[in-house]
Order: sequence, then C-alpha cells, then structure tokens
Amino acid sequence: MCKSVSGVKAGFMALALGAGLLMSSAADAGKVRVAFGDIASVESLHLLAAFERAKEQGVDIEVTYLKSEDIAAQAVVGGQADIGVGGPYALMQKVKAPIRMFLQLSTLRFYPAVNGQFYKTWKDLNGQEIAVHSRGSGTEAIMKLMEDRQGIKFSKISYIPGSEVRTGALLQGNVKATIVDSSGRRLLETQAPGKFVILPLDGVNATDEALFANQAFLDKNAADVDKIVEAIVQTWRDVTANPGVVTEWRAKYKLMPDLPAGQVAEILPYFQELAQGNAFPLNGGGAVAAKDDFAFYTLSGQLTGEPANLKVADFWDTRSLDRALAKLGTK
Amino acid sequence: MIAPSRVGGPAPAVHPPEGLGASLGRLASRHPVVWRLSSLVLFFLAWEIAGRVPISYAFPTFSATLVALVSMMADGSLFVAYGSTLQPLVIGIAISGVVGVVLGIVMGLSRMAEWLAAPLFVVLQAAPMAALIPLITFVYGIGLLAKTLAVIMLALPVIVLNGYKAVRNANPSLVAMCRSFQGTKLQQIAKIIVPDASPVIFAGLRLGLAAGFIGVILAELLITPTGIGDLITYHRSVANYAEMYAAVVSIILVSTLTLAALESFETRLLRPEKRRG
Repeated sequence: MCKSVSGVKAGFMALALGAGLLMSSAADAGKVRVAFGDIASVESLHLLAAFERAKEQGVDIEVTYLKSEDIAAQAVVGGQADIGVGGPYALMQKVKAPIRMFLQLSTLRFYPAVNGQFYKTWKDLNGQEIAVHSRGSGTEAIMKLMEDRQGIKFSKISYIPGSEVRTGALLQGNVKATIVDSSGRRLLETQAPGKFVILPLDGVNATDEALFANQAFLDKNAADVDKIVEAIVQTWRDVTANPGVVTEWRAKYKLMPDLPAGQVAEILPYFQELAQGNAFPLNGGGAVAAKDDFAFYTLSGQLTGEPANLKVADFWDTRSLDRALAKLGTK
Repeated sequence: MIAPSRVGGPAPAVHPPEGLGASLGRLASRHPVVWRLSSLVLFFLAWEIAGRVPISYAFPTFSATLVALVSMMADGSLFVAYGSTLQPLVIGIAISGVVGVVLGIVMGLSRMAEWLAAPLFVVLQAAPMAALIPLITFVYGIGLLAKTLAVIMLALPVIVLNGYKAVRNANPSLVAMCRSFQGTKLQQIAKIIVPDASPVIFAGLRLGLAAGFIGVILAELLITPTGIGDLITYHRSVANYAEMYAAVVSIILVSTLTLAALESFETRLLRPEKRRG
C-alpha cells in the first residue's frame, strides 16, 4: 500500500514537473511577464508609460490582463507570470506563498458618498445601511475603521461589487450611503452637483496596488527589477510635478489608442486631482507602507495577528527599492 | 463430520493467494455500495496526496477541506449561506418546473406551439449562459429577481425540450389503442400520453435541477456575491483555500443529494416497476 501511495505521489510529482517544464519553455528567456488583475484603463496609463520607459532602459516587458487580482497572484505563484499587480497579503501569510511585494503603486483612494437629502455627517449614518464592494474588501475595511473612529454603528453592510455600479445606484436612489472611487466621485459631482455629500476620511493610508514577484525571480533578475522600480518611481514624481505629461506619454508611446473621446477628456482631471492630493507614493512604499498596511489589513481580515508582531521581511523585498532611492534620492 | 488430520505434510494455507481478491469481489457483488464507496475513497486519497505534494499553494488537502467544512457547519455560516442561495434556486426551479412541463406538453401536442417556441428554447439551450448572465443585471438589477432569472434561463430550456420530445414521441400504438377504446382527446392526453412521457419528463426535471444549481452559483459569482457564492469569493480573497473548497464541495454534495432524492421520489411514486425487489 505504502509503495503504491509513493508511486502515485511520484506520478503527481512527475506531472507537476512536466507542467512546470512546459511553462518555462513557453516563456521567452529574458522577457518579464507582468500580469494585471484588471483591464487597462485611464487609471493605469501612468504605469503603462512607466513600463515603456523601463523598456527604453533595455527591459523586455510583456503585459497581460487577467480577470481579477486573485488570478494575477495565482499566475505569479504558478510561474506563468513574473510580476503581478495587486496586494496579495493574505496569500503570503496564510499559504506562505514565496512571493514578495517590492514596490507600492497606489494607496486606497475612496470617498464615502451619501445622499445629502438624508445624511450630512458621519454621525447621521448611525443605525443606517451602507453599501461597499465586497466582504473583506478595502472599502469595507475603510467603513469599519470609520465606524470605530466615529463611535457609530451601521445597521447593515450590503455588498455591491464595482464602484461604477455603486455610483449608479447612488444616482438612481437605490442606495443612500456608499463608498466610491475618484471617477465615481467626479461623476456624482457632474451628474448631480450638490446633491451628494462626500464625508471626510482622514488617516487611511493602505496599499491598494503594489508590484509583487516570486522571491526567486527577484533574486535572479535584480538588474531588470531595479530598472522597473527606478522607472516607476521617476514616473510617479514626474506625474506629480506635471500631470499633463501623461497625455503626452499616451501619444508618444501610443498607449491605449482606442480610448473613447469621453475617457480621453478624463485623463488630465484624473491625474491633476491625484497629483494635487499627493496620492502617488513618491518613495515606493517599502517598510513604512508595510507598517500602515499591517494596521489596516488586520482590521479588514486579509491579515491575521497583531500588527506589531508582523515582520516586513515576510511580505516585502525592499532591496531594489532601496537601491533606486539611493540613486534617485527620497522625497 | 470430522476432517482427517494431516501429519507431517505442509500446513494448509489459511488464505489461498487469490483469496483476498476473490472475497473482495464477492463482497462487492453482494453489496454494490462497496464499489461506490471505494471509488470515493480512492478519489479522496488522490485528493489528499495531490494536496500534500502540493500541486499548488492554493490547493488544500482533503483533510483540511473536511475540517473547514465541519467548522463552517459548526459556526453556522454554511447554513446561513444556504438560506440565501436556496431562495432564488427554489423559486426558479418551481417556476421552471411548472412552466417547463406545461409548455413542453403543449409544444408536444400542438405543431403551432412547437413552431412558435421550440427555436427559442433550442437557441437558449445552446447559448453560453455565463456570458449572458451579467447582461441580466442591465435590465433587472442585482437583486433576487436577477438571480431567479439566471436559474430559470439555465433550467427552463432543458425541461421544456425534454417534455416536448417525450410527448411528441409517445408510443403511437398506445395512442391508437386509446382511440380504438373510444377514449376522448383529454383521456388520451391524461391517461396515455403524459404517463408514457413521464420518465423522459422526469429526466428533464432532473437535468433542469442540475442546471438550476449551476445557474444559481453562476449568478452568485457573477452578479452579487451572496450565499455560497459569497463564501467562495470571500474565502478566496483572503486566501482561506480550505474553506473555499469546502463551500464548493458542499454545493456539489447538496446538488447530488437533491438529484438522488428526486430520482428516488420518481421511482417510488411513478415507476413502481423500476423499484428493486
């Protein structure tokens, strides 16, 4: 019996090994495969431009777009992609996947929006129903954090995936209080000026998206990773200094040429707003961001344990970022 | 009778070499459930080994999944989830069952109804529903109505088409017999055609129920995460893979048990000749 079990086990190993070999032979040598967890949009234009700038430095980058962040993370863990975009804290902590984050791309930028006819302040939401993205999501964690800080209690949290869906529901009157992203906020302001109140949100500073990769990839391809990190940090600083440059890059690198005119018009206001709000992480996150994330994501349920006991090295590999900051200086 | 005693010769083997296989075979032929159980045991064993290799960081072992399943039952979260998943499923299956069987019989009896409705259901059955379900939300929103519609879209076509083919292919000599005994048209339908078609209609209901389970899970994964769909997406998002697999396994179990219950109901009530003696 034992023999047959080990035989089956060996069979599985052989299968897994064969699959691994197939994958690695399919991947071109030297090509860095980046997996996004979403389709490209106006909001990822600056990242695409940064990849183009890294390409100019001699890094061969191939971008693929997957259905969700989970799948992008699985692709990286499984070896079908080298670098993923997202925040896979749970994956690193719970199943000890050998991946590390190495650069923060953005922090959570969400706006609690309420119908001004019914509510004006956080206190008015006591005992009321609110809608967030999904269970365990960043939007839910933000609202729970504010519940604690404001000393209020929501009667019910309902789940409506997609900021644009929640914005539509708010406009149609199906929900009275929810949390939307910056394009949703702009839509509320243009469609019904003055009708909705954006509630203040201070001190929420957690990673929304970061770049992550297998530890083995980071060890072997330090030169390429350094160039990518440098290109992105430099790009974030350039966009903060001059948000208009994104439109120029779009033309120069022929990024998203099929974007409809309505969305092209949104590029400048979107980046202006983020630049004014100093929303781009100019120093790439690193250990400081990790500490903020530990506090926030233990609250949201992505991470478990005491934030003070979590170790940065278990989640982040800051070597490339440290080298880039030594070269570019900190801001 | 006393067996002759043997002295000196080799001691007789207590079990002849082929005895184990033969006795297992006898056991299995006497109790067919043994084969089924051993197939399950082999599958779970393969799962456990695959989880221990592991074939992926996101692939839990069978034992971890079982522990997660038990703990989700103990804390009640699984039952709460079924409370909300079963709503659109039960409503959708009830509507599909009644409408589907009636419509199938009407289409089987009347060429006119067949021309009107059959193409629609053939197209619906061939359509990739996972691509169509998100479109329901554009018109019907994200509530119970949209999810019930998703169940109906998957369950109704197969029930209608089975009912229609069963009635159309009712045994012509039985129908002729009814006519020669001067049965009325109503008697012909109620006493000959529908009873003769009932096995295939029931097969349609079983397939419809299975499709309904697919529909409700698709709706919960694609429209808004509630019930079992919520358990699957939530546990996936926080990397609790054992819990995620437990939720998936639980829906497969519930679906299989429901189908088996429907089959035994059919055998007991409608087809006594199929009952095993």
